[in-house]
Amino acid sequence: MATQLSAVPAPTPTPARPARRASKPSTQHQRFNTRAGRAFDVVNVVLLVAVGLLALLPFLYVLAGSFATELEITTRPFFLWPHEFTTDSYASILSSSAFVRAFVTTVVVTLVGTLIQLALTALMAYPLSKVDLPGRRTIMTVVVFTMVFSAGMIPTFLVVKQLGLLDTYWALILPMAINPFSLIIIKNFFQQLPQELEESAKIDGAHELQILRHVVLPLSKPVLATFALFYAVGIWNDYMSPLLYLGDQDMWTLQMFLRQVTASASMSAQDMGTELPPPAQGIKFAVVIVATIPVLLAYPFLQKHFAKGMLIGSVKG
Amino acid sequence: MRTRRLAPLALLAVGSLALAACSSGGSGDGGGGGGGEALDSLSIMAPYLSATPPEADDKVGTELSKIAGLDLDMQWVPNAEYGDRTNVVLAGDDIPDVMVIQQKSQGFVQTAEAGGFWDLTDYLASGDYPNLVTENPDVQQASSVNGKVFGVYRARDVVRTSITIRKDWLKNLGLDEPTNTDELMKVAKAFTEDDPDGNGKDDTYGMIIPAWGASIGTGSPYDAIETWFGAGNVWKDEGGKLVPSFTTPEWKQALDYEKELIQSGYVNKDYATMDGTTGWNEPFVNGKGGIIIDVQSRASQLAELFKEQDPKTYDQKVALVGNIAGPNGDFALPTPGYSGFLAIPKASVQTEDQLKQVLTALDKLSSKDAQILENNGIEGDNFTVDGDHAVFDKSKQDFTDVVSGSWAQIGTNVGGFEAYKPKPETEYDAELEKERADLQAKDLKKAVFNPGAALVSKTYMSNGVQLDQVIADARIQYISGQIDESGLDAAIAQWKSSGGDAVTAEMNELYGQLG
Amino acid sequence: MTAVVDVEQAGAPAPAAPPVAPRPRRRWARVVRFRWLLVMLLPGILYFLLFRIWPMWGAQIAFKNYVPFLGIQGSEWVGWEHFAEFFSNPDFPRLLGNTLILAALSLFVAFPLTIVLALLLNEVRLSVLKRTVQTLVYIPHFLSWTVVVSLTALLFAIGTGPLSSFLDGLTGTETNYLADPDWFRPLILLQTIWKSTGWGTIIFLAALASVDQEQYEAAVIDGAGRWQRTWHITLPAIRPTIIVMLILQTGEILNTGFEQIYLMSNALNRTVADVFDTYVYFTGIQQGAYSYSTAVGLSKAIVGLVLIFGTNWLAKRFNQQGIF
Repeated sequence: MATQLSAVPAPTPTPARPARRASKPSTQHQRFNTRAGRAFDVVNVVLLVAVGLLALLPFLYVLAGSFATELEITTRPFFLWPHEFTTDSYASILSSSAFVRAFVTTVVVTLVGTLIQLALTALMAYPLSKVDLPGRRTIMTVVVFTMVFSAGMIPTFLVVKQLGLLDTYWALILPMAINPFSLIIIKNFFQQLPQELEESAKIDGAHELQILRHVVLPLSKPVLATFALFYAVGIWNDYMSPLLYLGDQDMWTLQMFLRQVTASASMSAQDMGTELPPPAQGIKFAVVIVATIPVLLAYPFLQKHFAKGMLIGSVKG
Repeated sequence: MRTRRLAPLALLAVGSLALAACSSGGSGDGGGGGGGEALDSLSIMAPYLSATPPEADDKVGTELSKIAGLDLDMQWVPNAEYGDRTNVVLAGDDIPDVMVIQQKSQGFVQTAEAGGFWDLTDYLASGDYPNLVTENPDVQQASSVNGKVFGVYRARDVVRTSITIRKDWLKNLGLDEPTNTDELMKVAKAFTEDDPDGNGKDDTYGMIIPAWGASIGTGSPYDAIETWFGAGNVWKDEGGKLVPSFTTPEWKQALDYEKELIQSGYVNKDYATMDGTTGWNEPFVNGKGGIIIDVQSRASQLAELFKEQDPKTYDQKVALVGNIAGPNGDFALPTPGYSGFLAIPKASVQTEDQLKQVLTALDKLSSKDAQILENNGIEGDNFTVDGDHAVFDKSKQDFTDVVSGSWAQIGTNVGGFEAYKPKPETEYDAELEKERADLQAKDLKKAVFNPGAALVSKTYMSNGVQLDQVIADARIQYISGQIDESGLDAAIAQWKSSGGDAVTAEMNELYGQLG
Repeated sequence: MTAVVDVEQAGAPAPAAPPVAPRPRRRWARVVRFRWLLVMLLPGILYFLLFRIWPMWGAQIAFKNYVPFLGIQGSEWVGWEHFAEFFSNPDFPRLLGNTLILAALSLFVAFPLTIVLALLLNEVRLSVLKRTVQTLVYIPHFLSWTVVVSLTALLFAIGTGPLSSFLDGLTGTETNYLADPDWFRPLILLQTIWKSTGWGTIIFLAALASVDQEQYEAAVIDGAGRWQRTWHITLPAIRPTIIVMLILQTGEILNTGFEQIYLMSNALNRTVADVFDTYVYFTGIQQGAYSYSTAVGLSKAIVGLVLIFGTNWLAKRFNQQGIF
């Protein structure tokens, strides 16, 4: 396991040249215009549309169910359009001021948290992508170790408490600021970037932080967008952190309320005492929709960056 | 991505982190009195079952604070995650003055035995707190840890088990309500084979049974049948010795009865997998099955669903039958009579004076006026009183739901339930309500209580969940035909060898000590 | 593949590595040369120290009878007791077997499918379609296991579910697929594929977006067909990503996930459904036995570490880039 800069050449002999001109989609299209290619395209499109529908149909059922009456949900096995259209389920969720407040809180915490987490991760990944950085191997070993072994709920709680982060929104962001998995992938990605660009920037007198900002990060948009999504979804779906770290219910995030509606029925043992009927299915469905739609809406904005190849974007400076 | 913004933000984050780390020294004093001085507020941690907890300025909370004489500082926790939160709270030093403890888990018992909670046995017996004197000493005993009462239990109906049957189906077939297990089998057979809905199709079955959590003695239909057969209730006292109910011959007899129900096709085919929380009512209301063994309130729930379908005929659909006789006698399966208790941690309530202050407040919170606030809400706001009943304002249903799903969770009612019951909407509802009350009185006399309820065995604390699962799974596997009698015996032998024998020995030792 | 200096190749030790003696000075020189990079590393190091390493001090509860009220220090020391209890459990071989089978299914079936789906998506030329399908296949990721399991119950309900009716028609017998032990693993696998395949493509699509387009153009000029381009350009280009994901997956082998299996298990299929995660839930978490669950977690982590370091070493043996 050599850590030194080794002389072994890279497996692909073609060194990537920094391509300044954008490769136009049209050239890509021309490449595949053979008969076999077109046949494959048709099969592929049909297959993927089927896969897409398979993923979508159950969601559409949930969507239809959220607009249906309780009676219809219990009597009809599967439907995509309710016979009787009602917004009662949404009304009962959205009428609560606590819910609306939690929604706004969650959006803000998710946005700010994602930025912080992504920044910290990229900042750490960049130095680690330099193979002869002193101490690199030790740090990476620790990172992998912490990925596999986490200390558990109570010890982490005690640390968050000692740092004075209880009842602050930092408690939802900082304990999960750098995901080891994301760090490793981003680090590997940086490692694969063509070195010439950084070298030439260095010759121009650029500082390491400037190189990261002006050379490396613009080249890494697809991967950064990916992990922005991962981090955002992580914060959005997190219910354990607010449960453990936020005692003040005015600070709660959306998941605290959503879990109550969706999880209580099947996860907790039957309470011997309550006469309350289980939460209505329609409300459950509405809750799933409310929790999912914002993330799905945010997705296309990030997707823009996925589509661009990293070498297509021009390098500033 | 505006990368230019990233770096300052990161620095900001790290900076504030360092600041937070420096400033963490002084904080940490909870709501309770750090020293010995009198409390000026009462912090209570409780689960809530409503969709949202009460707001901080909730009217009920304000009124209850007035009654208690202390400002209530409520810490609401979603019911599904209450256990996790409890353990974390016990590990920190910001512990509330009063905690709802939902079950005698290992974590709670260890803490209590290490001196983490006040032993209330003598305080409650002193009579200084009249509203905290139990009307049912057996239940208080059952809620204790080997005779030591660590909390004021939250009282629940003792008799809840009952059979709910399709009344119109019985009528169509000219059958009477069953009074014993043999007749119940005959009704199940007739509901399956004799076309009770008269539609000319073979599309009905007798009994609806959902999948049940992998434990025993949790009020499942199986548990009820086994008690009716005389297998006791979790434990059975045989000549002064406790034996597990599933080692009795009556238990096996009951299992053969359950097996006959299943193998003859008198039960829904998905009995092992049906989700009971959402799906139990549906086959009954839609005319697929006609018998449910569950709590009495199931009958009211079902009647309500029939009412939505057709308000004219709904009173012809549901019949309520109590516990029925078995071949070996007439027994009824009671509930534990409580659902957790309010315990007082020593970490926050440090002196006896403070303890008395807390008990006084809890006493007031169990008074009639407090009970009405906790269970009904604000009179003249979300409900009005009509005789002995509360009439709820439909337009304030959300508020009423929050009250019954949250504030009711801190009510103990150990001295008796004194709040108003909801006013029945129709004559039939009133009839059903009365029938429930009559059945409760009747079945209480033949209720078989768990003689080991108060006893906490050390081995059971660490292995109990798994041990219970062995038996609960073997039960279903046997009645489904997956294993035969020798397989069932093997499971019981496995139970014994993997800790069950130790549990039995420990239980009997404690049983002897408590007399 | 855009890497030019792919430096972490094993096999050939750096021939230039000098003898030991002049090391300290060289090392110091490296520190000076990399000083700004080291400074950039500081927030990250601080993070790992505070939130990842410091809490591990608490992992000592695995060797104690931890009672929250008594605190970590005040709890009684019991040594290896919890570990002994875990490994001597008569159910241990069955739990291990069930866990490994589910992990193998996920590793050898679900994981390759993710790559296949990513490659298929990559071949779509109509960008509107590509984006739409991409968005659609992510949706299942956002539905909780509770919802997925109740949808499964709906589709496979005995006698009435659309899928169970279809299967019954093929076999000619009525089966409760949700309770049949033979059907437990296929159903779990099906759910896993449905829920996570689409989401899993994200990483690979990001890697695919980075493939140098000029290589394709050159290949086209050389007359390479579509399959050849995939095999000779696309796959090698994302190979490092595949290997890293594979290594990371092996570390997760003993983590089957709790919620899905818990919700899908019942009395009749429990013999094949019991895995470490459900076992820990029943014996540890539900009972508030934190020492015991920490001991089990520690044991699992050690296996995970050995597997990660092992596969990482293997990957480098075969001249691939490892994770570090």
